[in-house]
Amino acid sequence: MSWRADERWRTERWRTELVAIGAFALRNLQMASRNVFLLFEVLFWPVVGVIGIGLMARFLELSAEATSFILIGQIAFSTVSVCQLDVAYAVLYDVWSKSVKHQFLAPIGVRHLTIGSWLIGILRSLIVFAMLAALGWWAFGFDALHAGPWPLAIFLLGCSLTAWAVSVLVCTLIMLLGARAETAAWASVNFVLTLAGIYYSVAVLPKPMAAMAAAIPLTYFLDAYRAYYGFPAEFAHPILYGLVLAVAYVALSHWALVAAVRSARRSGLLLKMSE
Amino acid sequence: MLAIDARDVAKTFRAGVFRRRETVALAGVSLGVPRGAIFGLLGPNGAGKTTLLSIFATLLLPDRGTVTVLGHDVVREAGALRRRLNMASGNASFVWALRPPEILDFYGRLYGLSGARLRQRVGALLEMCELTAHRRVPYNELSTGLKQRLALAKALVNDPELLFLDEPTLGLDPDVSVRLREHIARLRREQGMTIVLTTHYMREAEQLCDEIAFVKAGRVLARGTADELKRQIRIGDVIALRLDPPEAPWLADLEGVLRCVTAQGGIECTVDDAEKRLSEILRALHAEGIIVRDVQVREPELEEVFVELAR
Repeated sequence: MSWRADERWRTERWRTELVAIGAFALRNLQMASRNVFLLFEVLFWPVVGVIGIGLMARFLELSAEATSFILIGQIAFSTVSVCQLDVAYAVLYDVWSKSVKHQFLAPIGVRHLTIGSWLIGILRSLIVFAMLAALGWWAFGFDALHAGPWPLAIFLLGCSLTAWAVSVLVCTLIMLLGARAETAAWASVNFVLTLAGIYYSVAVLPKPMAAMAAAIPLTYFLDAYRAYYGFPAEFAHPILYGLVLAVAYVALSHWALVAAVRSARRSGLLLKMSE
Repeated sequence: MLAIDARDVAKTFRAGVFRRRETVALAGVSLGVPRGAIFGLLGPNGAGKTTLLSIFATLLLPDRGTVTVLGHDVVREAGALRRRLNMASGNASFVWALRPPEILDFYGRLYGLSGARLRQRVGALLEMCELTAHRRVPYNELSTGLKQRLALAKALVNDPELLFLDEPTLGLDPDVSVRLREHIARLRREQGMTIVLTTHYMREAEQLCDEIAFVKAGRVLARGTADELKRQIRIGDVIALRLDPPEAPWLADLEGVLRCVTAQGGIECTVDDAEKRLSEILRALHAEGIIVRDVQVREPELEEVFVELAR
């Protein structure tokens, strides 16, 4: 192959990759704009969560620092939750509409599905974060930007990567067990955040649970971000550990989903989910 | 030149965790489909037709055997193959809230189409499948016929060389079925597309298919053109009679008469050899004083061959 032809082939390949990723991003965006439940996910539940937690802090007469601590957890919960649901939806839309086979008949990889829907997940979660930050500041005097732009960007990156790993594992479960695994889409993030120290320091967890918490990237990102609000970090180099773990989980969950799709092709589940 | 070359393909589905249940869907199927042909897979429910189609379309991995489709191995070169084929099912379904152009746009992108090329393709398919007037209707509000047409449009989005149609006219009104069949025939005629279809409708298979394979219990029992199958499966010839008076139940007792049924105001007798039995039947009717108003000898319908094979 000549250099020019090689270059053309590479450009075409990149274009095809981006177009397929764009297909999933566009579909998630179209569905998000038409489904009232998805609007609720962005507007209603996160707002109710922050108001509830903020009022509880006021009732318990918590200090400004303690209020910040638990509001960071609540905002992280909503941010991760919304982001991870978008990726899970990319599979669930097809499971619910029994059109799974059409998607996997096309010459795409699971990367197109996960990256495309994750990008819309990030967009929706950023909207949630901005809205909750404004609400926290207005109602409870919580300054979400106190740590500065870079720590905030790293915190949000940590939330997004955690959401990716959790949601791709949810997609894996759906591909292995079928529609009965769909509750994992909502349950998994609650489980992960409970372990990651959503409203408390992981130091209060029983030992086995603390060990599990130490294996969750979000634990480190929460720890690092809360340090800017005056809470001593539980872990040394939390951002480094968090990033390494997050990248490892992203790779692991991607590999697991690829294997699950292959298993569904072997067991016939791919067809069964389309009947 | 073969579009599909399958050899000794086997597939067993396993279900249950504690009490394992096994269902043999394919028990060693070998089949060749010529390029540019319309090939029909016929058989009763659970025969293994859809399983075979799904293996050809890379949606299902075989347990045993080799399948080469358009020169690609379906297991090792599935990615390259998927660009060149597509599939539509009679019970196809798409994401409920999207409109026809959005559905075609989504799948078009999955096949690498974008920009003006994608817009043109989507517009042309909507036009071709008579969906333009319904472009603003969400999928879940479309009628069954429109959904089927959309499924066909989606299956054509990548201009495939090989098209799989799984029960394409299932549940459609007769007029819509006729139009869809014309459409399928035109695809082969004008684009040289190879089409493999499964159907329960014998007339559809007879009208459309160059060749047919009968599948039962995971095996190919017979294959050939509709006429070849009728000759291969010797179930006798049919003598259709219109009599005055119309009833002659004793005909079934004559030698060489396999069965007699009342059909369309007359009697249809299936005989072992029409040349030999026709004169005997006419003689017997004359002896009984029955007037023969009309007599026709024909080969059995494909449906009768199907019933015989499925028995």
